[in-house]
This record gives sequence, C-alpha cells and structure tokens, in this order.
Amino acid sequence: MSRPLRTLLDKIGMAVCVLLLVSPALLFFVWMLSLSLKFEIDNGAYPPILIPERFAWKNYTTIFEGNSFLLYFWNSVIVTGAATLFALVVGVPAGYGIARMRAHKSAVVIMIARMTPGLSFLIPLFLLFQWMGLLGTLWPQIIIHLVVTVPIVIWIMIGYFETTPMELEEAAMVDGATRWQIFAKVALPIAKPGIVVAFILSVIFSWNNFVFGIVLASRETRTLPVAVYNMLSFEQVSWGPLAAAALVVTLPVLILTVAAQRQIVAGLTAGAVKGG
Amino acid sequence: MASVSIRNVRKSYGTVEIIKGVSIDIQDGEFVILVGPSGCGKSTLLRMIAGLEEISGGVVAIDDRVVNDVPPKDRDIAMVFQNYALYPHMTIADNMSFALRLKNTAKSEIAAKVERAAGILGLGPLLGRFPRQLSGGQRQRVAMGRAIVRDPKVFLFDEPLSNLDAKLRVQMRTEIKEMHQRLKTTTVYVTHDQIEAMTMADKIVVMHDGIIEQIGAPLDLYDHPANMFVAGFIGSPAMNFIPGILGGDGFTTEAGDRLPLGGRVPAASDGRPAVYGVRPEHFRLADEGLAAEVVVVEPTGSETQMVLRPLGTNANRAGAGREDRQRELTWVLRERTGARPGEVVRIAPNPALAHLFNPDTGLRL
Repeated sequence: MSRPLRTLLDKIGMAVCVLLLVSPALLFFVWMLSLSLKFEIDNGAYPPILIPERFAWKNYTTIFEGNSFLLYFWNSVIVTGAATLFALVVGVPAGYGIARMRAHKSAVVIMIARMTPGLSFLIPLFLLFQWMGLLGTLWPQIIIHLVVTVPIVIWIMIGYFETTPMELEEAAMVDGATRWQIFAKVALPIAKPGIVVAFILSVIFSWNNFVFGIVLASRETRTLPVAVYNMLSFEQVSWGPLAAAALVVTLPVLILTVAAQRQIVAGLTAGAVKGG
Repeated sequence: MASVSIRNVRKSYGTVEIIKGVSIDIQDGEFVILVGPSGCGKSTLLRMIAGLEEISGGVVAIDDRVVNDVPPKDRDIAMVFQNYALYPHMTIADNMSFALRLKNTAKSEIAAKVERAAGILGLGPLLGRFPRQLSGGQRQRVAMGRAIVRDPKVFLFDEPLSNLDAKLRVQMRTEIKEMHQRLKTTTVYVTHDQIEAMTMADKIVVMHDGIIEQIGAPLDLYDHPANMFVAGFIGSPAMNFIPGILGGDGFTTEAGDRLPLGGRVPAASDGRPAVYGVRPEHFRLADEGLAAEVVVVEPTGSETQMVLRPLGTNANRAGAGREDRQRELTWVLRERTGARPGEVVRIAPNPALAHLFNPDTGLRL
C-alpha cells in the first residue's frame, strides 16, 4: 500500500472511531435541537425528519409565555449560585487544610459523603425543613444542594493543593508570611484553575439536580429541571416545547463550560518552578 | 549581618537519625558551604537553620539568639531554593517585593530596594514579566534578587545552581561570589558539587552520613584532608589511594613497588598497613617509579587525564572486578603526551605532597 493512501486510511479510521465515541453525546443534542425546531406533525413523521422545511420558532416563545419560566430560571440561578458559593467558601479552605495536614482519613469521610445517595438525606432533611418552617422558600434546596457541592469542591481542591509545589509556600514562609497570608496570597492564586474546575462541576451538578427539587419545591420555588418535567404532564406530551425548554436549561451550563475551559488550560501551563 | 551558631544539632524522623550531632560556628559575613554526597543531611541542616524543619536536638542560634522555636518569618533570613520557587502568579517586581509588602514597607522604599537589587543582578528590563517568561538563568537571578531585597541577616542557598547548564553554572558561581563580596552578608550554601564548594567558600563543611567529616578553608581541605572520605571527595579527579605497608623509611605497595615518604614517617609504623594517597596531578614520569599500563588517555586541551593500571595488581588481570578497578590510578599532567593505551609508563608521586591514611579508620596518619 502506498504511503499517502495509508495515512489517509489512518485518518479516516481515526475519524470513524472518534465519531463512534462522541456520537451518543452529540446525536442526543442534535436530535434535541431538531425536535425543538419542528412542528408537532413533523415530530411523529416516519421516516424521521432531521431538518424540517419550516422552523417552529414558536416552541421557544411558548415556553417563556406559558409557564413562569423566567421565575424558575431565577430560582435555579439562586439555588445553584448560593449552593456553589457556599461550597467554595467552605470547600476550598477545607481542601487546603486536608491536603497540607495529609488528613487522608477526613478525605475518605468526604468521599463517603459524596458516594452516599442523595435520597438518603432527603427524608430526614424534609422533616427538618418542615419543622423549621422553611418549606416554600428556596433555603431547603440551597442547603440540600450543599450535600452534593461541598464534597465535590473539597475533593477537587485536595487533589489540586497536593500538586502545588511545597517550596512556594516555604519561600513565602521565609519571606515572612503567616499561615493565613500563605493561603490567601500564594496557595489560593495558584489554585485558581482548580477552583474554576470545582466551580464548574459544582454548578453542573447543582443546576441539573432534579430529585431534590421535585420533593422540596413548591409551585413557586421550582427550579428549571423540575419545571421542564412538569411540562410533560400538562395536556399532552408536546415534544417541541419540551426539547426547546431542555435546550434552554442546558445552555447556561454549556456556555459556562466552554468559556471556562480556556481558563483551565491557560492555568495549567503557568510555570511555577523550573521547566514550566 | 549576623553570626550563626550550630551546637550539637540532631534531626531524626522516627527512629532514623539523619543528622547525628553537628556543630558549626559561622562568623559574621562568612561564606560557608555545606558539601557532601546526596543523603548526607546537608539540605536538612540548611532547612533547620531556615526553620522549615524542626530541630530534634541541640541549638541553632542566629546572632546569639536561640531560634529553635522561632518561626521562619521571624528569623530574618532569606533563602534561594533549588527550583527557585518563584511565585508564578506575580511579576518579577512583585516576586522581589513580596517580603517587603508583607511588612508594609513604604512604596517608595520598596521601589528603591527592588531597583537596587535589579541593578545588581541586571534584571531591570524584566521587572514587568512573569517567571514563566524567563530563562533558567534569569529565574535564578530573580530568586537571588528576592533574597537581596530583604537585606536579611543570613542568606541560605539550597543547591541553587544544580538546575542550570554547565556554562551558566560557572557564570552564576562568579556572580554569587561577587555578590557576597559586595554585600558581605553571612551566607550558608548547600551543594553536592565540590568544585562549587572549592571556588566559592570561605569555609567548607564536608558532611557524610549525618556527621561532619571536616571543617576548613578550601585549600586546607585540599592540602590536609583529615580522612580518606574528605581526601576522596574534595578534588577532581579524585585522589588516588594505594594500599600497602609502611616499613623502613618508605611505603611498599601490594604489588611490591616502593613509594617515597619524604622523611615523614609516622612513629612506630614498621610493618603497619596503610593507604598512600596521592592527587592525580602529583605524579611525574620517573624511571624508578611505579610501572603501570595506560588504559585511557583523555586530553582536555589544557591538561591530559590518564587512567593507569598498575602492573602486578589484580586491576591488571583480565576479568578484573569493580573492587580491582578501584586500584586504577588517575594521572593528570599539564604537558601534552604521546602515550597510547596499552603502553607501560613509570610514574612516581611527589613525596612532599603525598598523604598517609589508616586503612581501618580512614583517618590521616
């Protein structure tokens, strides 16, 4: 076989493999996009239509008109924002402490908290929130999301702080910094890429969480995943608006990840010690 | 500027003792180098002076103030790390002024001090850059600049040149020495490179296995090593050791060759086994000398280094092991030579510059 042909075949083979690997994630999105732009009649067509002749933009306007979509969006922003912010405030210093003190046992405890199914916290916490009179506000959802976000942040930050060179902190120590100053002025700025990763994962988990919302939310305090689910039960299953809503729900997280990815890569190439 | 006193200092991790009772007196303004093979405890000792390692026993004092329990930030020391440890998120100027900013020094004073240090080290045009934008040598200079700006009592250097290439290392060696002559700050410098130690130090501390083998001025160590370890460690290529027996007014090698002692015969030494030490440059061609076969000739231009295998020893036999290889001799001569591998030459040591050691204790006789 000639050399150019071989290289070409290699490339095609590679492309097919990549396509196969990413297709479940990708096709899912493509189909959702297609659904959101089709009229109801096209949705049931056989053979299936991928690109319709006329785009049904009204699917998008419906979701903003028919439901309190903006309210639910705002609820989601508050719940995710607060749960992530609290998680960072608590989790970053905790991860630093665990990494520096080599407290591997505490790390395991956090891992266990991370692995425990969220549902097992749900019922006792539901009763607690009821007793405290918090049901009907966003607080129960914010608090219960911490069960997910705090361990994620701690776990990521432990790994990150363990890889930052100890010499940098020793240099700061010799330069006259206190423990707190070392954390704030040396360890924290260097860990920025790690914090970004923890932030994104925490946002994704919190934003997409459905189970906590469906149990704890009232009509006024629904978050987006719950709102999308509720669209199923009204009148009939209208696939167009449903897909449009799902896309709108996914969009913020998608944009955030794409935007922050550059940050992560940029952060990783920074040269702390020799050879960087 | 300050003196540093280390009294019977010990360090153990669990049951393993890394430093086994070490005492060093460092005078104000002195440049002291701790040198030794890796694992000898020299870096640990430096880190104990810095306050980065706890002291298991003994006393470290800076300017007569015991600092055993004083945190690093209150010791008024500056340290240059092997991998420089520059803060990657700060510019060069910010790296250099970090310590001063922590002390809330006035901005005008910080600017003046940074400028002065940058001037000394030629870092002026780089002040606005980040560490990742600098070459290895430049980063090294910034690390030194960070130390100079502080104007500390003591400079500590932990193998600062080992990450640089050979040429840059020689250049930085000169710069560090010049800097010390200019600032006259007490300096403790750790290296495993005995050439660095010889060329830079006022005083060398040779360490091995957690103890001090010898303390002295570079040429003192070179001319009068206290034991075989120091004799073998200081000087490159290393000193030749020839085992044999003392008798009459001379020394007889295992192969039966007689080596002169220049009248420096230790008392009550007849028939006593000893090791004859001679530096590679202290041999000369001589008809009455040791017969040896040339193994390798390595001309460097300024001198020629030759590896010789003495005739009549095991080193000369086929299938000689590692032990026997140690019997090989190194000869360094300034003149060019036409000698080729396989030829036999006769060489004699200069008796006035030869050393004798006890083969059991390794101590100088």
